[in-house]
Amino acid sequence: MNGRSLHRQLLLWLLLPQVVLWLVAAFGAYRLASRHADELVDASLLQAARALARQIKPTASGFFVDLPPSAQDILAADPEDRVMYRVSSPPDQVRLGDARLPPPSQPAPLGEPVFYDATVPEPMRVVSLDLHLGAPGAVDSTLRVQVARASAPRDLLARRMLLDTALPLSILIALMSLGVWAGIRKGLKPLAELQAQMEGRRADALDPVELRAAPPEVGALAGALNELLGQVQQSLNTQRRFISDAAHQLRTPLAGLKSQTELALEAATDPALRQRLERVHESAVRSARLVSQLLVLARTDPEAVAAQEWALVDCDQLVREVAAEWVPRALAAGCDLGVDIVDAGQRVQGVELLLREALVNLIDNAVRYAGRGATITVRLRRAGDDVWMDVEDNGPGLAPELRAQAFERFVRGSALGEGCGLGLAIVREIVERHGGSAELRPAAPHGCIARLTLPPS
Amino acid sequence: MNLLLAEDDALLADALQQQLLNASFKVEWAENGAVAEYLLRKQDFDVAILDLGLPMVDGLTVLKRVREAGRTLPILVLTALDALEHRVTGLQAGADDYLTKPFDFPELEARLHALMRRGRPASQAQQLRKLTLDRAARRANIGGEPVELSPREWALLDLLVTERDHVVTKAQIVAAWGADEGGSIEVYIHRLRRKLEGSGLAVRTVRGLGYLLEATVQ
Repeated sequence: MNGRSLHRQLLLWLLLPQVVLWLVAAFGAYRLASRHADELVDASLLQAARALARQIKPTASGFFVDLPPSAQDILAADPEDRVMYRVSSPPDQVRLGDARLPPPSQPAPLGEPVFYDATVPEPMRVVSLDLHLGAPGAVDSTLRVQVARASAPRDLLARRMLLDTALPLSILIALMSLGVWAGIRKGLKPLAELQAQMEGRRADALDPVELRAAPPEVGALAGALNELLGQVQQSLNTQRRFISDAAHQLRTPLAGLKSQTELALEAATDPALRQRLERVHESAVRSARLVSQLLVLARTDPEAVAAQEWALVDCDQLVREVAAEWVPRALAAGCDLGVDIVDAGQRVQGVELLLREALVNLIDNAVRYAGRGATITVRLRRAGDDVWMDVEDNGPGLAPELRAQAFERFVRGSALGEGCGLGLAIVREIVERHGGSAELRPAAPHGCIARLTLPPS
Repeated sequence: MNLLLAEDDALLADALQQQLLNASFKVEWAENGAVAEYLLRKQDFDVAILDLGLPMVDGLTVLKRVREAGRTLPILVLTALDALEHRVTGLQAGADDYLTKPFDFPELEARLHALMRRGRPASQAQQLRKLTLDRAARRANIGGEPVELSPREWALLDLLVTERDHVVTKAQIVAAWGADEGGSIEVYIHRLRRKLEGSGLAVRTVRGLGYLLEATVQ
């Protein structure tokens, strides 16, 4: 089959957008969380910077930083949470704190805080606040207060917020996928049923599909399928009727042709003419036989078989009658035809006319191909539960590669004789309609066994 | 022997007429059902061959009407149809035998003779190769030499000659004897074989089926 299965496609198209949306949502949540964390950190940094700035008292010579132990405690609140600060005036001259803190990339107006990231040497978040130092007449009255805090705790916070949102979301996704999968399965069940019905049927079964409680879409499909099956059935019936009618129509002119050639053969004395007439006669006989076989074949179609009379068939009697009927013809062909009833009293359920036809075809084949002087035996026996009807000959036998092929239509074992190549195909059709099988086996030391295996009544 | 041939296919009718003529029948040909019915009602025939697919009046109707008119001559139905139900309908309508097209002429001839024999008492003398059977006197001779036959041997020979070239089953022999003595059949066959030596006829054993009287190759 071409393309992905419907089940897989539905699953893909339902789950793929969900996963994409989930990823987008998770990313968005992370961004939001990290912004909130940034804001929190920035606010506390600014608070610390302002607090520090408040402790700076301008003096005549410059300024004085009154950093009481309590304030220092605030700055070093958490040993894990590293905090740095720097007070400089003018902005490039460090007066207090850590000289490693870099200045902001762009100077900000007085009183406006600038937030930025720096690496000293670990990643840190820095706030820089430029203030006007109160003392008049001072050389440079700008004071810069910088406070920095390690970024690690902030990242940790953001990560935790992400985890808190992503985890429940993931569980939700998993549960939903399961639900979708189950839903698709349930929804596609009528289709699977339809598939199973179509796959399970014989090639020639044309009865309508039956679905229990199918949804309208699948019901419509099944309906369309049934309509098609009905049409095929109808055209098959037409074809069958045509073959049957044509065969009937052909019989009379063929009988005329055959009789006329027989008469001509009686009168003809010229050997060359006789030879030609014999060919015409042979061809007429073969055509007549083909027509008869076509009729039988039309009769072996399932419907035709079902319409015929089924009864308990006495195999002993069938074998004896058919063989007795064929003895004169076998003798004329130089064959010794006999019957061997190994297990008497076998019966099968079937259409006697058709079973007779099958056996006739096997004997006809044996007489035709075993050759002059051959011994042909029709043997009836029981094998387990089955009934075996064998036609065994001690002729040249059949090449192994031809044995299976011989049951196909229009395959002939030899170019000689009047065989039309339908005989064994008919035999197979007939026994299969009876729930049995037909096969060709080699006989010892040479020859062929044509075996019909039929289920017992 | 007068024979009516009712067949609409000119080619087949022409050939059949000639073949029947060669087999010493006197043939009258009817090419449609109406003519066939008229001839069958007005003339006396020993036997008739009737095609079922005749124009104007179909064969089955002809058959019914002729039987209703009280004609009892043996009629062999010839047809291109062969399904079982057609066979049954044909025989129910009063046909004595049934043959599907195409057929072998020897078979048609044999059936015609069998039909006519059935209508006549089987008391005539019969010649087969060197064997002569006088059924009225229940006597047989080979090349003029009388053959001594016990009643069972006679019944056996009579049956084999009647069914010559066809298989005679043990059940048929037992039925002809009127007593269940199947075990001794082989003994009688053996005796009969010896008595038939030099007659140009031989009794062949057909494995699992029975016996068959055939002409020996000379």
